[in-house]
Amino acid sequence: MTPSAPVAFPDIQWLQLAPIIVVLGAAAIEVLVEAFAPRTSRRSIQIGLTFAALIVAFAIIVINAGTFQLVVAGSAAVDGPALFLQGAVVLTALLVALLMMERKVDPSGDAFAARASAMPGSEDERQFTARGYLQTEIWPLFLFCTGGMMLFLSANDLLLMFIGLEIMSLPLYLLAGMARRRRLLSQEAAMKYFLLGAFSSAFFLYGAALIYGFAGTVSFGGIADAVVGQSQMSGLLLGGIVLLCVGMFFKVAAVPFHEWAPDVYQGSPTPVTAYMAAGVKVAAFGAFLRLMYVAFGGEAWEWRPAFWVVAILTFFVGAMIGLAQSDIKRMLAYSSIAHAGFLLLGVMAVTPDSLSASMFYLLTYAIATVGAFGIVMLIRDDSGETTSLDAWRGLGRTHPLLATAFTIFLLSFAGIPLTAGFIGKFTLFASSAAAGEGWLVLLAVIASAIAAFFYLRVVVIMFFSDPVGSGPSVATPSWATQTTIVVALIVTVVLGLFPQAVLNIADHADVFVR
Amino acid sequence: MGILSLLILVPLIGSAVVAFVPASPTRSKQLALAFTVVTFVVAVVAYLQFSPGGEQFQLVESYQWIPALGVTFSLGVDGLGLVLVFLATLLTPLVILAGWNDVEDAQAQNGDSQSEGQVRGYFGLMLLLLAMTLTLFTALDVFLFYFLFEAVLIPVYFMIGRYGVGRRSYAAVKFLVFSLSGGLVMLAGLAVLWYVSAQITGEPTLYLPELIDIDIDPTVQTWIFWAFFIAFAIKAPLWPVTTWLPDAAGSSTPGTAILLIGVLDKLGSFGMLRFCLPLFPDAAESAAPVIIVLSLISIFYGGLIAIGQTDMKRMIGYISISHFGFIILGIFVFTSEGQVGSSFYMLGHGLSTALLFMVVGYMIARRKTSTIAEYHGLSTPTPLLAGMLLFAGLTALALPGMSTFISEFLVLLGSFTRVPWVGAVATLGIILAAVYILLFYQNTMTGKVTEKNKNLKDLNLRERVALAPLVVVVVVLGFYPAPVLNVLNPYVDDVMAQVGATDPPPTVPLATGVQP
Amino acid sequence: MNVYIPILTLAGLAALFACFSVTMATFTGPKRYNRAKYDAYECGIEPTPQPVGGGKFPVKYYLTAMMFIIFDIEIVFLYPWAVYFDSLGLFGFLAMLLFLVNLTIPYVYEWRRGGLDWD
Repeated sequence: MTPSAPVAFPDIQWLQLAPIIVVLGAAAIEVLVEAFAPRTSRRSIQIGLTFAALIVAFAIIVINAGTFQLVVAGSAAVDGPALFLQGAVVLTALLVALLMMERKVDPSGDAFAARASAMPGSEDERQFTARGYLQTEIWPLFLFCTGGMMLFLSANDLLLMFIGLEIMSLPLYLLAGMARRRRLLSQEAAMKYFLLGAFSSAFFLYGAALIYGFAGTVSFGGIADAVVGQSQMSGLLLGGIVLLCVGMFFKVAAVPFHEWAPDVYQGSPTPVTAYMAAGVKVAAFGAFLRLMYVAFGGEAWEWRPAFWVVAILTFFVGAMIGLAQSDIKRMLAYSSIAHAGFLLLGVMAVTPDSLSASMFYLLTYAIATVGAFGIVMLIRDDSGETTSLDAWRGLGRTHPLLATAFTIFLLSFAGIPLTAGFIGKFTLFASSAAAGEGWLVLLAVIASAIAAFFYLRVVVIMFFSDPVGSGPSVATPSWATQTTIVVALIVTVVLGLFPQAVLNIADHADVFVR
Repeated sequence: MGILSLLILVPLIGSAVVAFVPASPTRSKQLALAFTVVTFVVAVVAYLQFSPGGEQFQLVESYQWIPALGVTFSLGVDGLGLVLVFLATLLTPLVILAGWNDVEDAQAQNGDSQSEGQVRGYFGLMLLLLAMTLTLFTALDVFLFYFLFEAVLIPVYFMIGRYGVGRRSYAAVKFLVFSLSGGLVMLAGLAVLWYVSAQITGEPTLYLPELIDIDIDPTVQTWIFWAFFIAFAIKAPLWPVTTWLPDAAGSSTPGTAILLIGVLDKLGSFGMLRFCLPLFPDAAESAAPVIIVLSLISIFYGGLIAIGQTDMKRMIGYISISHFGFIILGIFVFTSEGQVGSSFYMLGHGLSTALLFMVVGYMIARRKTSTIAEYHGLSTPTPLLAGMLLFAGLTALALPGMSTFISEFLVLLGSFTRVPWVGAVATLGIILAAVYILLFYQNTMTGKVTEKNKNLKDLNLRERVALAPLVVVVVVLGFYPAPVLNVLNPYVDDVMAQVGATDPPPTVPLATGVQP
Repeated sequence: MNVYIPILTLAGLAALFACFSVTMATFTGPKRYNRAKYDAYECGIEPTPQPVGGGKFPVKYYLTAMMFIIFDIEIVFLYPWAVYFDSLGLFGFLAMLLFLVNLTIPYVYEWRRGGLDWD
């Protein structure tokens, strides 16, 4: 067998890729820490490594600001949107990491099972809990997930995007099943998330295969050329787009592919839920935006009608079913579905303005979401968190500061001025109207009005109803959770009053590299 | 920093001080009163700096805010804005004085336990509301206006839901859902306006004086006009979106009701005059017939239902709906008399609503109930109270000699010159006003006093001091409206010019005393 | 828009077929119930006893199976690399080295945490 001609090796742009490398590298090192470090020091090493990796990654992202190039032979892009959203992911991850290390709200440890492998309700489990074991594998899993998100949203070909998707999702399936309390619910959530996630991955792969069949390449630039060059809509292309979108719709929880979200959000440990609602949404929409803008932007008028239907369904179903929820985590899940619907307006507009508006919206939504879940962690009874809305009665009387903070997050979700959510909504709707989708904006505001109603229900419960019995029992958190809530609060209010700086960054990052 | 920023800053700081400085309830109330009095003084200074007939927008200040969106923090007043600023700053200290014990009374009515923090919260919110209201009346950037138009719901929501009486949380949520829905529809309109401005001028702008100059395509105008108008019609409730108002009025403390209905709801009619007409003149003109009919319905709907009310505060709510009908009618007949009348009516309605709610509030403070049937023959134990109720009622039914008479007369005159039958129908509304006011007075004040009402005390010094300035202003403006009309006439001329409307030629010579 | 027509037609057909078969089954199907019919799986297999308080299955098989897959994939990559070693050169060598290191990390983890002890 004679070797063929020498292979052309790609250049590897180390600095541009450094944020992802740092995070994934740290995750690999953390696996080794699990293998070699003694049990007593494992947790502190893991936490230190995690924070160090995230901070270094963020610093490198800042250093890389302004980069606009394809890296590693065009398979990944380091451009404005990628850096902005990677930054958003890392910031979200930092806030979530603080929630994950919280040990004071649950008397028996953190939010995660002492030993996830022990059977729920078994003697083993009781012993592990009694000995105060803490699962430390969550930290490498968390970092792998974060690295996956960063890769996912900067991937510039279908294969790398799929790899990013999987690196992001697989650790999340595990993390979802690791709740310390209500473990069967948590395991059910993990199972559902895994099965539906795998299902959606299959859709995505099938779509990628069809697109390869159509374009003869998996790189977005190549696909875009093929899309523009064709004279007639090809079945392969259309089928490919549909299947890829179905995979993405699953990930962002758009109707009719949303059914998993409430169950999974409810069952997962709350910090993980926060990460799913915030981080995954940022990453998935980042990737979705890139896919639709770069690869299929030339064909926007063909796929847009389908998006109309999905977006309208998504924000209306999210808003209306959210009205009927009596569990705060499920309610926030439907809220996140409704927000996915609004964000789809940004995906289908395909203009630089809507890209920057979507990015700003994602950032504000993610930060407020983490803050809101941080507060959800604190409302507890003997059996753990009480997510039933009844437990929130009279919180405004007994804990006015906490209730005010939660109200501000809810107002931000509802898009009421003084909060970042309003600016996000305005920019998104204005850019969408500018893209000629005025009627869709009108429907979206009607859905927002309905959604506002269920956010207000919580405010009414907190402030205007009397506490039941001894009132909600609120755990006093450590500095970690406090920091998360306060930072999220400050960001939400400051971006609501003075958004200029961040809007400016988003405006300068509104073009995808091709 | 200009005078208008100062005007907003004073109550804003006051709200933080009152809400967060731990002080006894009495001290907090005194603090709140002091801050509002200072605000009023600043408003008077602003009035003196304003030159009637000069530039349309005066005392203008503009600061960078969100350049990325082409949004500025711009303040400035025109004639109407100035008058409403005067109304808001005048009423708030009087409301604080009249509602000195509102919180305690409401707690007694609800059977809640007393808590000191409540007083701080209530008066802090009231000052915050004042600051936001003043920003709204002076905002020159549509974005800034919208921003506060929505944000102002938050303090009102808590003032009703937390410090109100009866079905307060229901009323608060209803208020919020109505206003928010309107506001969000307006958001859609704002988004479209934003990009239309970007299309026409190249740079997105929502700065009102610039927006007035651009010509928007009539079809687009219609869309944006209705998006804005729905929000405003919910605010200054126009039939059929009125149902939140009686509930809000019935469940508020009298003080909240005055600020909500007397001042804040003026944003609706103010917004129509300030934004809907100059920005979307073509759409406004074509929409006028529909709106005129709706406002006629409002006049009668509010008036008829007011007659049948059993709760005093709800009754005043329905009376206001009737009056808002007059105000909106005057705006959309597109005559200068009508618009001057409407603008003046906004002031007059604020004063008359305040008078009514204050007197009713005094009655509630004595008996802890707002049911009309509970009161009978009050003129015997409390003659002064009865007299003030009569005065307030006569203000509301626009008796000649009251400031409201001039405005109602001008609105009707304006309607007659444009569409005679509309004027004729609206005039019938005056009869209704006489019915509901006099019936109410007769039921509560005249006749033989009942056992429960026998030992009521008449108005004390604080209560008299709170009423006196209003009585003076109402009467003085009733006989000598020039200080206000001088400011409003040039304003309406500007608006009419922007709409491109002209008065129909007079068929009979107009009364010279009020001719603009 | 016309590209949507086949999709919509297909969706309509699918919905029609589903409705048709479900309704027809209730009308025309024979209804003879017995114990097996009421089981969760009609094919006659007993549902597996639930792990909680019921039977156990050794998790070790999974670990072994996963080990096998890891090394299997390693071999799949190593063979072509060995064949094309010359043309892949230093770049290929370093890449393969990185791959092997990455593969070793979970292996070390499993070994240190007792995944290879059968008992």
